Amino acid sequence: MNKAVKPVGSQEMAWNFKLIAHHELGGFGGMGEGMSIQLTKDGRRIMWMAHENAPKNFTGVDVSDLKNPRLVVQTELPELYLRSNSLEIVGDIMAVAYQTKQPGQKGAGFELFDISVPENPRSLSFVDCSGPYSRGVHQLWFVDGEYIHMSAGAPDFQPRNQLDDQIYRIFDVRDPTNPKEAGRWWLPGTREGDAEPPPVRHEAKADFGFRAHNTNVYPQRPDRAYIGYIDAGAIVLDISDKANPKMVSRWDNSPPYFGFTHTLLPLFDRNLYIVTDECVLDDMADWPKLVWVLDARNEGNPVPISTLPAPPVDVFGRRGGRFGAHNVHENIPLPTSWVSDLVIVGTFFNAGVRAYDISDPYQPREIGYYVPAAPALAPKGTIQLNDVFVDERGIVYTMDRHTGGLYILEMEF
Amino acid sequence: MDQLFGHGAQPFGRQLSRPGAGKLPVTVITGFLGAGKSTLIKALLESPEGAGTALIVNEFGEVGIDDALLRESSERTMLLGNGCLCCLSGTDLQMTLRDLFAERMRGAIPDFRRVIIETSGLADPSPILQTLATDRTLDLHYALEGLVTVVDAATALATAGHADEWAKQVALADRIVLTKTDLAAPEERDALRARLAELAPLAPVEEAKAGVVDPAFVLGEADGLREAARRSAFLCETPASAPTHRQPYKTFVITIDRPLPWTVFAHAFDTLASLRGPDLLRVKGFVNVAGRQGPVVVHFVQHLAHQPEELKAWPGEDRTTRLVFITRNLTRERVEALLSAVLAMADDAPEEGAGAGGPEAGS
Repeated sequence: MNKAVKPVGSQEMAWNFKLIAHHELGGFGGMGEGMSIQLTKDGRRIMWMAHENAPKNFTGVDVSDLKNPRLVVQTELPELYLRSNSLEIVGDIMAVAYQTKQPGQKGAGFELFDISVPENPRSLSFVDCSGPYSRGVHQLWFVDGEYIHMSAGAPDFQPRNQLDDQIYRIFDVRDPTNPKEAGRWWLPGTREGDAEPPPVRHEAKADFGFRAHNTNVYPQRPDRAYIGYIDAGAIVLDISDKANPKMVSRWDNSPPYFGFTHTLLPLFDRNLYIVTDECVLDDMADWPKLVWVLDARNEGNPVPISTLPAPPVDVFGRRGGRFGAHNVHENIPLPTSWVSDLVIVGTFFNAGVRAYDISDPYQPREIGYYVPAAPALAPKGTIQLNDVFVDERGIVYTMDRHTGGLYILEMEF
Repeated sequence: MDQLFGHGAQPFGRQLSRPGAGKLPVTVITGFLGAGKSTLIKALLESPEGAGTALIVNEFGEVGIDDALLRESSERTMLLGNGCLCCLSGTDLQMTLRDLFAERMRGAIPDFRRVIIETSGLADPSPILQTLATDRTLDLHYALEGLVTVVDAATALATAGHADEWAKQVALADRIVLTKTDLAAPEERDALRARLAELAPLAPVEEAKAGVVDPAFVLGEADGLREAARRSAFLCETPASAPTHRQPYKTFVITIDRPLPWTVFAHAFDTLASLRGPDLLRVKGFVNVAGRQGPVVVHFVQHLAHQPEELKAWPGEDRTTRLVFITRNLTRERVEALLSAVLAMADDAPEEGAGAGGPEAGS
C-alpha cells in the first residue's frame, strides 16, 4: 500500500469528468473569457482563446485530434497596457475585444479578423472606442455574423463615476470592413447629464461599477438582450429597435450580496434564467459568489428559486486565489456549441469546472467536477479556471486565468 | 409550472449517458467467510484503478488494512493511501452512506469517486440492495453499480449443500469471482461452474490468480463488460440450461415488443410487487416507454423501485423492452401471465389504448 500521501489539494480532483489533454500554450497560459471554435474549410477544428493580459493577444490551437492539441498561432498586443480578454467567431470572421488599463489610453476598441487561414489572421477593421473616460471593450458577443453586442466605453460617453464607463453597445458589422454603431444603452443615472439620480454605490470594497459585462442575444428572441450589468444585477432589454433599447426587467441581488453580476443565460424552453455573479476578490473577501436559477415566466418579474450548490468552502475557501462562480457555458447559438437546458457547466476559479443537473430547477444537483492540480508557477498556488466552452459533441474546454492554459475534458454523465 | 421543469425532462429527469450517470457508483462485494473478499479488495484498493474508493466494512480487521492505516479522520473513518478510505458501517449502512456523502461534500474526507461495500460473510446481500432503493436521498447520490459475489472454488460445493445464503448470494450476483481454483480438482471446478451457471446464468465469471482479478472486472468498468452492457443492455440472454437442482432461485428474461405507456408499466409492476414483492429478488432492464426517445432503466429490489432513469439513446437498433428477473419460487409463466393481463386490459381501455403490447418470451 502506498504510504506517501500528498496533502489534500495538491492533486487533481475529478468526478465524472475525464482529462483528455492539457496544453500550456507555449508558456503563456493566462487566459481571459473568450473561447470559440472555428471549423476551417480544410476540415480542421481550431479553438481560439483570448488572453487575460498582455503581451499575448489571442491563441489558436488545432484541436482536431483532441489528444494532441497543437498550437497554430499566437499573436501579440501592440501595447502592454492592453488586454484582449474576449473574442467570438462566426464562420471565418473573428471579433476581438481590446481594453486598456487606464481610461484615455489609446488602442481601446475591437478588431475584426479574417481567419480563413488560421496561421495568418488578417485584420479587416478596427473600431476605436478610446476616449477620455473609456477603457474600451471588455467583452463582446458575436453569433449571427451581423451584429456585435458588447460591453464598451465610447469616446463620447462621460460616466458620472469612472467605474461606470463600459455600457452596452451594438455594432452593425454586416460589412466587416466598416462596422457602424447601431445602438447603445446605459443604466439611467450613470451618464453625466442624465435626468435620473445616480445609482446608490455598493460599499467601498464591493464598488465594482454599474456597467455591462456579458451581453447575450439569441435567435429565439432577437428582440431581447440578456445582460449581466455588474453592480446593477441582471438586466433584460427590449432591442426590437436597436437604436432605442428599453429595459424590460432588472433583478438585483446586491446588497446584501456583492454584485458583479456577470452572465444572464436564458433557457427559453423552460422560462428559466441562469445568472452568475463573478468572484473578483481573493480568499473569500466577496464570498459567496453564486450561480442563481430564476423563474422567468413573468418576464417583467424574474424570481430567484434556487442556487447551484456551491463548492465546499472548507476545501477551497482558503486554498488561495479566487473561490466562487464566474462563467457558464452559454449555449452559443452556433453549430460548434453544445446546447443544454438540463445541465449547466460553469467555472469556479480554484474550485475548477463543475456540472449541475437542473432538471428540477428547485433542487439543482452537482453531477461532476474537474479541479486541475495547481499549474506550474501558479501565482496563487491554485488553479483559477476562468472560462469554459462545450463543443457540439460535448467536449469541454476550460482555461486557467494565470498560467495553466487549456484543459480538454470529457463529460461522463 | 410544468414548463420550468422542461418538457424534455418529464417525467424521468435529465436523459443520462449511461445508467447511474452523475451518481456515485456503489459496488457490493459479498461471499462466504474465507472466500477471499478481503484479499480481492486489498489488491483493488492498491491498484491504480481502485484509486479514490471508499470502502465500507463491518470491522476494520476484516480487510487486513491495519498495517496501512495512515491517519484517523474520525472514529469510524480511516484514510488509506491511493486516495482511498475505509469506513465502519456497524449496523446502520444508511447513516454511513449519508455521512460519507456529507463529509465528501464538505471536503472532510477525500473526494472518493466510488463506494465498495463489503458484506460480512454470512450476510444475505438483499438488505443492502434494499437500503439503496429505499432511501430517496441515497438514491439521489448513489447508484448500485453491481453485486459481485466471491466464490471459493475449493469449498463452495460443500457450502452449497447446506447454506441457503450461499445460493442467494450467487443468484443475485451481477458478476462472480472464483478464488482458490488451484485448490479444486478439475472435475470439482467444472461441477461448480455448472452450478453457478444454473444459479446465475447471466453473471460473467472470472477466475482469480493468487486471489486477484482485474480491478476493472470487480468495478464493472472492464471494456468487455461495458461493451456487452451497451450492446444488449444488462446482458439479456436467455439462460441456456434448465435447472437440474431443486433450488428456489430463478433467472429469466421477459421481452415486450411494443412501446408501453409508462402508467401501464407502473401499474403492472405495482400489482406484481404487491402480490409477490418478497419473491422479486431483483428485476432490472430497459423499458421502451411510449413517447420517450431513450430507454428507461428500471431496477426493482423486492417491492422497492429505484428512481427510473431515461438514457439519451438506445444502445443499438433493438428497441425491445427487456427485463431480467431474479426471483424466488416465482416462475416466468406467472409473471408473463400477469403482465399480459395488465397490458391487455390497458389495450382495451380507449384512453390508454395506444402502444401496450403483450409480453413475449425472450429470444
